[in-house]
Amino acid sequence: MNTRTRHIILAAAILALAASFTWWLAHDPVPNFTKSLPGSDNRPPRADSLTELVHIGEYFFAAGGTLTGGTETWPRFRGPDFDNISKSNIKLIDGFGGQIPKILWTIDLGEGHAGAAIYKGAVYVLDYDELKRSDILRCINLADGKEVWQRGYRVTIKRNHGMSRTVPAVTEKYIVTIGPRAHVMCLDRLTGNVKWGLDVEKEYKTEIPFWYTGQCPLIENDLAIIATGGKALMIAVDCETGKKVWEVPNSKGWKMSHSSIMPMKFGGRRMFVYSAVGGICGVAADGPDAGTILWTSSAWNKSVVAPSPVCMPNGKIFLTAGYGAGSMVLQLEQSGGTFTAKMIDQYLPAEGLACEQQTPLYFEGHLIGIQPKDAGALRSQMICVDPSNCRVPVWTSGSEIRFGLGPYLIADNKLFILNDDGVLTIAKPDIKKYIQIDQIKLFDGQDAWAPIAVADGYMVLRDSKRMIGMKIAVE
Amino acid sequence: MNRKTFINNSGRLILLGGLVYLTGSIIFKRKVSASGKYVWQIDPFKCMQCGRCSTQCVREISAVKCVHAYQLCGYCDLCGGYFKPNTHKLNTGAESQLCPTGALKRKYVEEPFFEYKIDEKLCNACGKCVKGCGSFGNGSLQLQIRHDLCQNCNECSIARMCPTNAISRVPIEAAYQIKGDFKNPALTNPK
Repeated sequence: MNTRTRHIILAAAILALAASFTWWLAHDPVPNFTKSLPGSDNRPPRADSLTELVHIGEYFFAAGGTLTGGTETWPRFRGPDFDNISKSNIKLIDGFGGQIPKILWTIDLGEGHAGAAIYKGAVYVLDYDELKRSDILRCINLADGKEVWQRGYRVTIKRNHGMSRTVPAVTEKYIVTIGPRAHVMCLDRLTGNVKWGLDVEKEYKTEIPFWYTGQCPLIENDLAIIATGGKALMIAVDCETGKKVWEVPNSKGWKMSHSSIMPMKFGGRRMFVYSAVGGICGVAADGPDAGTILWTSSAWNKSVVAPSPVCMPNGKIFLTAGYGAGSMVLQLEQSGGTFTAKMIDQYLPAEGLACEQQTPLYFEGHLIGIQPKDAGALRSQMICVDPSNCRVPVWTSGSEIRFGLGPYLIADNKLFILNDDGVLTIAKPDIKKYIQIDQIKLFDGQDAWAPIAVADGYMVLRDSKRMIGMKIAVE
Repeated sequence: MNRKTFINNSGRLILLGGLVYLTGSIIFKRKVSASGKYVWQIDPFKCMQCGRCSTQCVREISAVKCVHAYQLCGYCDLCGGYFKPNTHKLNTGAESQLCPTGALKRKYVEEPFFEYKIDEKLCNACGKCVKGCGSFGNGSLQLQIRHDLCQNCNECSIARMCPTNAISRVPIEAAYQIKGDFKNPALTNPK
């Protein structure tokens, strides 16, 4: 082969390489590539529900029932002491003996998960009536289930995995409710007369959480404490006059969550702890600086938060949420009147105690809760942990005993657990092992997620469409 | 025994065996295909979305696809099958989506409901959406073997690797076992 031929071959090879390289550069290997960009679901701008004119507490209906009285109370979400533990001395049943406890009354309700508050023989539940298209606070006689009165207002709510989902706050003088679209209503407890109403969504430009408002109101020293989101983070309203006593500015733009405000005492201060979508904060509850932020932390920033913070006596706060969020433990510290919140642990649901909807119990220095479905091998099991290490269960209910998203509370030193489908379990609250006492199917229910209320030996619970009252005191 | 007797006895034995099998099938209500055809099928109550369906199928893109039982779907805005956990922006941006191939599509229906559909051409059977839907929602998204794609191998290579034995051969008449229509056999026929 002569030199000329070699040069021709070399030139041809170089040309072929150059052509290949140019083709490789110019070629689109994914000609059908489409970008996933926001907006391709045709979602319109946020629905403007603010145009609806709502007259809070506009109508009243005397239903004819009579209150026969009672002595005990379960006056709000998580009971008198915010811990879901009844301190009543009334002896409750030890088991079912194969028979369903006597169900004294059943009331059909609009689809939802709103639980009851009980105050001296009166049951209060904020229902949504689909026929009347109204939020209705129903006052029911605890002993016989007869309705005494209703106070409501028309508001448009669409079914969205239930409509109602909050527990009223009740004191001797007042009842405060929050409806699905954050309409706050304050009534005189005895008469049901309207004291005032507040459209939080309209007044504070609040973004209502998915599946509607889940925050249960709080009354402290005749002040209604509401976490609004929007223009304010938290407000206190005088129950008698409806005047705002203080407002906490929402400088970080945190949003309203399903979590409820929990009072806490630490470092000589009483404070309101609120887990918003965006972060968690402690707001001074009393003193000259009431209504000012004592501490905040953005470390806890989850898109959906339903359980409320569990505030422990040593300044630890247990936070948990569903949808894969997992849990976090904060340690409050106080120095010279300044508070700081330090994150001491954070983990995924499969790595330790986590809850999706219900708030865990704090019992004898331990936390007890039901694991979510994404908790791996422990999914849907009840577990108990020592807060010093929430990742290692002290005990679990075991792979054969699993629960759902239903509520649980302690009364008469018995742990009552309601499953989604109406199965009620009695266990012995214990920090060493899970001890199941008895179990029975109360009703063919669905989504029995509302918190349970216990007072005067009665238990009030519900599934998505009805509420039942039953006597569980030992006869 | 001579060869003829041996063959005769073997034939009788085979006939007897067949009779016993048929009788046993009827007695124990074993599912028998009327047409005699069987297909591989995933039991959605056993499936744990391990991801092997995506990688073990002999097809280059798995014959397993996500299917949607609409009667179970909550049409949620915040869909655990569509969005990554703890996503704050509920839009169709790729960074928010759980599906690695964008096979799950969502369309606004009316406030606050969204419809979810699967683009089967893009679905690679990773099962992430199924796991998300089952963990946080009603479990309406499920993995199923699509019989227009399945080569119905004599031995299914996914079934061999399935950690929960969720894949088995069923009569073609029961080709698709989808939650909603299909009840959990462990609950409907408790032992």
